[in-house]
Amino acid sequence: MTDDHDGVPELLAAWAFGALQPADEKVVPLHLAGCESCAAEAERLRETVRLLDVPPGTAAAGNGSPAAAARNGSAAVSQNGSAAGVPGAGPLEASVVGGGPAGADGVLALALRSRPALPRVAEHAAPYAAAVAGLRALLREVDDGHGPWGTPVVHDWDVRDTVGHLIAADEQLAVRLGLETHTPPPRITGDTPWEEAWNTRTADVIAYERTRDPQETVDAWAERAAALLATPEARDPERAAHATTLMGVRLPVADHFVVRGFEAWIHTDDIGRALGLAVPPPPDAHLWRLVRLAVRILGMALGPTAPPVLFAVTAGESSTEWVLGSEDEAVRGELVLDAVDFCLLVGGRYTPDEVPRGMAGDEDVVRDVLERAAALSWL
Amino acid sequence: MPVEPTLHKSERPPADAELHQRLVYGDESALSEAYAAYGGLVRRIAGRVTNSPAAAEDVAQEVFAQLWSRPYAFDARRGSLRTWLSVIAHRRAVDWVRGEARHRKAAGADDSALHAIPDTGPGPDEAVVDRERSLLLHSALAELPQPQREVVHLAYFAGRTYRQAAVELGIPEGTAKTRLRSALRKLAETLAEPPDPAWERGA
Repeated sequence: MTDDHDGVPELLAAWAFGALQPADEKVVPLHLAGCESCAAEAERLRETVRLLDVPPGTAAAGNGSPAAAARNGSAAVSQNGSAAGVPGAGPLEASVVGGGPAGADGVLALALRSRPALPRVAEHAAPYAAAVAGLRALLREVDDGHGPWGTPVVHDWDVRDTVGHLIAADEQLAVRLGLETHTPPPRITGDTPWEEAWNTRTADVIAYERTRDPQETVDAWAERAAALLATPEARDPERAAHATTLMGVRLPVADHFVVRGFEAWIHTDDIGRALGLAVPPPPDAHLWRLVRLAVRILGMALGPTAPPVLFAVTAGESSTEWVLGSEDEAVRGELVLDAVDFCLLVGGRYTPDEVPRGMAGDEDVVRDVLERAAALSWL
Repeated sequence: MPVEPTLHKSERPPADAELHQRLVYGDESALSEAYAAYGGLVRRIAGRVTNSPAAAEDVAQEVFAQLWSRPYAFDARRGSLRTWLSVIAHRRAVDWVRGEARHRKAAGADDSALHAIPDTGPGPDEAVVDRERSLLLHSALAELPQPQREVVHLAYFAGRTYRQAAVELGIPEGTAKTRLRSALRKLAETLAEPPDPAWERGA
């Protein structure tokens, strides 16, 4: 070895790049064999070039050759000056991000297929359609670490029973719109009071469903919900304008669809609580539709001579007010409820004493309104 | 029946909670928005781990299909959607790599790639770190002074010897060698810093 290390240090970079002259090819390895410092430097430089060789996550997929990597690398080097210098930006990243709308639409379109699409229905059926979609999504978590089908939910029902109940509950509207009843055939006669008919039907359907696999119950419910949402009455507001009496209340068919949406959501919330999953409230537009119907029914139940109460319902930033009871005298009290809390009260999931509220004025009068609201619940 | 009011209020930033609500109730525009916001991130993570744009696209599709069909698998109370998507993307990408390695192994090829992926949780593995380092190097390369970049380009990417490069650039041989040396040392120094941890977070 000479003082200048056989001239090898000056050659090491070229050697690492594979750019040696043929005449130098022997000199370098020979020197490296006997010189630790040059060997260490050589190793470091060689490793750097090896990494340059690794395609930096771009279109040179799987092709580790310097030429292929070079074509990508050199494009960045020679065309782009410093622009490609920032990690995470620039041409190297662009090809990974899946260039352009075509890529994006492809991924999205395929992803959307993983779940049944929301049926296109009229506005009055949208709360029900959305609630059905939400319940289907929730039920996919059952048995997946969130709790088995047998988890107790409400009354003496478990998760599966609750779904079975919904089959029975939806049936009244379904039959009125000309759809078929579920197995087993209903036992009820024409003059059975509607509450008894309701309870009997639920009991019979649940008993039947308990003989089947939970997934069969879910499928039966989902199928019948889809059929209900496919009726002309679900899709055409004019077809849903006429009134009919179901569950003891006479309302336009459109409003009966809203009631279906209300019930589906309340029971979804029940199941969510049982499984420890937070069920989001319905989207605002739907929530307000439920609220407005509930207020109308509450107003009807209170009647035109009840002591008037100013009733405000709030949801986030927005708030709406009604006067419940008589319109001929001054308001005797005020009541403020959050929209979701109001729905839970009407749905029988809050007692009048427990529901969070703001009150002012004659507390007895206001409490009457709360109790009347709670009494609406048939769920 | 007593009810916990807090179940209705979310502690997460409004954007995630609102997006989650719309996803739950079947609003397709919510998935579009999620994809617009996080699709790039998911693809980048998947691309870095798999080193395959085709695999990255498949992983992205799986991740967003999961978000759409199993919206309740994401709990807005426990973390951001961004983080959740990142974790799922990484996991699916690692599964893909393991799957590929198993195929190669079954076909009798070497199984070093399989061993390169650690069995426990998400974390940088050798292949990923190499790709990140490569990206660092290419970036540093682009920032070299022009004279150095030119000679590296010819000697490495264009396969010239240092003498040929010198001739083509009209510089002395010694200068060519020196420039190559300076360039490569500079690049090697770049690697002396550990890879930016922000990359693994997908920042």
